Amino acid sequence: MRDPVAPPASFESLLSSVLNAAFAAALHMTRNRTDAEDLVQEAAFQAFKNFHQFEPGTRFKAWFLRILTNCFLSRQRKKKREGQTLDIDDAPELYLFSKSLALDPKVADPATLVVSKLETEHVTEAIASLPEEFRVVAALYFVEDLSYREIADMVDCPVGTVRSRLHRARRLLQKALWDVAEARGLVPSASAGKETP
Amino acid sequence: MTPDRFTCEEAFRRLDDYVDRELSSAEAEQVRAHLETCAICAREFDFEERVLARLKSRLRRIEAPSDLFERVARSLRSR
Repeated sequence: MRDPVAPPASFESLLSSVLNAAFAAALHMTRNRTDAEDLVQEAAFQAFKNFHQFEPGTRFKAWFLRILTNCFLSRQRKKKREGQTLDIDDAPELYLFSKSLALDPKVADPATLVVSKLETEHVTEAIASLPEEFRVVAALYFVEDLSYREIADMVDCPVGTVRSRLHRARRLLQKALWDVAEARGLVPSASAGKETP
Repeated sequence: MTPDRFTCEEAFRRLDDYVDRELSSAEAEQVRAHLETCAICAREFDFEERVLARLKSRLRRIEAPSDLFERVARSLRSR
């Protein structure tokens, strides 16, 4: 019989293989490293407790990310709902594309103009500025190749809702990335060039 | 039989699903057919695909703290 206290070696080895992706997703959801570590710990405990429900042969990473997401959403339900930090109306379609072309209309690869200048911490900062419902799906979407159906299972909502949230998340993220790049001086500021009184 | 081609608007509405490979093969083929004949849309789609690929690449470099696994494993053993 399995020792109920000691985690089986297979659980530890599976956990070890998904830890970086789980921590990255937790970091985007919680927006700080300490909370992300706590969230991973909590998810690991829940996963261990329910390891008998994991079906061998299925993706442990997807199963673990689902537990991690549930832990996060359950924590958030206990907190006061946070205010939205970005307005979707301020983030038109193809925001980065049009901004990049405005910088250099003849550039062969406009995607390099802004994104290549952004470090991981800048992208993390931009994701952190997204409202929670968009941040959670973006966290899962960016750290692992998951289908909309898999993300829908993780956040427990219809596929159509995931599709719509991801669409909005990407629009908001493009605007947020530009704002971060502007604030860090990586691209010319909108106020640059304006005459000072 | 060649499928009907999408207009720019119809193709653009499917941009996210296309880059995420969420379209049916028939719809994906219609989008591809449109992109082959419309340089403007092709450039926009290409931009979005490249941006997403770069963002994913950046974000997948994040590593958990080196001692996190040991802390989690220790905590599980002590419960």
